[in-house]
Amino acid sequence: MKTLLRRELGALWQNPWQLALVSYLPILAMLALWWLFSAALPRQLPVAMVDLDNSSLSRELGRHMAANPVVSPISFASLPQAQDAMNRAEVYALVVVPHGFSRELKTAVQPTVDVRYNGQFLLVGKLLAANLQQAIADAMKPLAYSKQLARGANPHQAHINIAPVATQTTALFNRNNNYVGFLVPPVLIALWQLTAMLVFANALNRELEPAARQEAIGMLPKLGAKLLCYTPLLMLQGLFIHALLFGYLKLPVAASPLWLIPAMLALLLAVFLIVAVIFLLMQESARVVSFCTALFAPAFAFMGVTFPVHDMPAAAQYWRLLMPSSHYIDSHIALVSYGVSGMELLSKNLSFMPFFLLLLPIGLLARKGLKEAQS
Amino acid sequence: MTLLRLILEELKAIVADKAIAVTLFGGVLFYALLYPLPYLNQVPTEQALVVVDLDNTSLSRELIRHADASPKIRVARGAGSVAEAQHYIASGDFHGLLVIPAGFKRDLLLGKGATLSYGGDASYFLVYSALVEGLVTAGMDAAKSVQLLGMLSRGESFAGASLSLAPMHLNAVPAYNPGLGYTPYVVPGLFLLILHQTLLIGTGILGAGQWRKSGYWQQVSALELLMGRLAAFSLIYAALGAFYLGWCYHWYGVSVQAGLGDIAAFIVPFYVATAAAGVAASCLFRRRDMPTQVMLLASMPILFVSGFVWPLSLIPEPLVMAAQAIPAVPAIFGMLKLNQLGAGFDAVFSEWLTLWVLALVYLALAWWGLAVRQREVDRPGIPKQA
Repeated sequence: MKTLLRRELGALWQNPWQLALVSYLPILAMLALWWLFSAALPRQLPVAMVDLDNSSLSRELGRHMAANPVVSPISFASLPQAQDAMNRAEVYALVVVPHGFSRELKTAVQPTVDVRYNGQFLLVGKLLAANLQQAIADAMKPLAYSKQLARGANPHQAHINIAPVATQTTALFNRNNNYVGFLVPPVLIALWQLTAMLVFANALNRELEPAARQEAIGMLPKLGAKLLCYTPLLMLQGLFIHALLFGYLKLPVAASPLWLIPAMLALLLAVFLIVAVIFLLMQESARVVSFCTALFAPAFAFMGVTFPVHDMPAAAQYWRLLMPSSHYIDSHIALVSYGVSGMELLSKNLSFMPFFLLLLPIGLLARKGLKEAQS
Repeated sequence: MTLLRLILEELKAIVADKAIAVTLFGGVLFYALLYPLPYLNQVPTEQALVVVDLDNTSLSRELIRHADASPKIRVARGAGSVAEAQHYIASGDFHGLLVIPAGFKRDLLLGKGATLSYGGDASYFLVYSALVEGLVTAGMDAAKSVQLLGMLSRGESFAGASLSLAPMHLNAVPAYNPGLGYTPYVVPGLFLLILHQTLLIGTGILGAGQWRKSGYWQQVSALELLMGRLAAFSLIYAALGAFYLGWCYHWYGVSVQAGLGDIAAFIVPFYVATAAAGVAASCLFRRRDMPTQVMLLASMPILFVSGFVWPLSLIPEPLVMAAQAIPAVPAIFGMLKLNQLGAGFDAVFSEWLTLWVLALVYLALAWWGLAVRQREVDRPGIPKQA
């Protein structure tokens, strides 16, 4: 085994691309992705404000919107100009205060304020819709309050009449809706899985080279040596992710992240088994990489973090089970958010078990060995 | 060799290469089905909610019924205490929490006001927003009926009471993607990225497989080879693009606002720039399995920097500037404005210009790279592996 391991390490040392893949390249990509999302909380998103009333009340509305941290109102003189800015994606929402707004409020005719938000940018649109409604409701409170007083309610009663049911909303597990905490971990895990897939595929593809074919070593020992050689190196990358998230960025974590190590190992093992089957079936380097890519590239979408798993169609839920990263992310969230105990977490790793059935085709295919080299 | 003959040779080489065929035809068709698959149900509905009803009165039960009636919420089970509810949520099967305090009805009827507590699992963004939206609406409905009852009991007219509670009407409607569906949100950008990446991979594998071997690509000038290659891939991508932007958009309910002429005018520089970039990049590879690997690792960063998932104004400026060198980035944002938001062609003129500049730069690089690679085969003693 020692000679086999030395053989793997030697091959690694002579291959600059593989060396980059197990060391700096994924780390750089991970840091770039984190930098991209580093704003963490969407703030100061541009919103077009068309004030056709231009009264003290409508300006009050504008001030309330400006006070909201998510909204950054930009005044437009006319509606067509604002619509144009909206079409050009220069603003993400549009608020129209109608002509006669102030007069209608005072004469007890209910005026209509129009809010249009960009649903094409779903994340930003939904956030702005909620915050704009909040800001406008807040702006209207003093008015409703003074009306209550005018009707003869005492100040305390007037407050309660306006809002008899107060609400208190808590974002569990991710208190300030931090997007770094929500989006970056699955993105990095997806990237890590892709790296692991490529590293294993490259290591296996090396056996297709003429020099490697002539060596009198069985396929199974070679597979074992590759697994032993590359798993620790890839684990280091996985641990780097956790050091970045929990150590450097100090994302909240409910239990010790060390409990995730078994799940990380299981992910790497499952990825290796899948790649090995594809390699033994295809036996051509570019096709192996292309096929593995087709399989693993959409893994992020299937994790269920951006879109809930139980709202996916059944076919997607089954396909999801083929992705080792989906099994891993369940453990990740259970530990980070819910703080489940170590033992419970270990039992979750049993979901990786079906991947070990792949050992069967691997054993059969490996015994058959490699086909004659194609030119 | 005539250009037509060269294009035919190119097409033959593309179809005969299984790795390219897997990527170009297999991959593009497979991704068209696989990527949108998780999102087909469009909006998250019926999030499982745990209710802690410490009041247990007709009003609290009515509130729970209101919540359950909301399409976004399903009242999945009750719990005796907040701690018990938290335990259920930690199991991962329930994502929200509603606490109705003891004395809820009594306090409201006495005019003292009461506080409802909502909690949502913010580990999942869409789950959280669906839960909170549903709960806030249910809570508001309950509050409204209580308010109205109170004011009517104080002898106010129905119309006057409703008006003083809601002095204005707020009409908040999504413009574009009116159903707030997830597929129309993801598909337009994603599909352009798939076209971009597969085109880069296809040209990359073709080149990487040919260098240092003799063949038709040695018998023509570098410029001719470049033109022939662009023409061959453009033909294939005209068909794949029509399939994606036409049939698939229609199938997935993506809004299509621009006319055929505008789309064609915009997509031509995108294809030319991408294909040229692919040919230029292919000159860097000698191993056929390399282009796929490089493009795969670049995919996620490109997707997130193109500005439709995460707002451009929040992405650090240096990243946004650097990303303009990738044809997919101006193309995705431009096409989004043109085809989804319905802005006119003048709104995407700067992106269109960027794509043409990129096309010229990459064409020059590709020409130079091909010339270098073509000369290489004649030189003996070149290193064997990259």
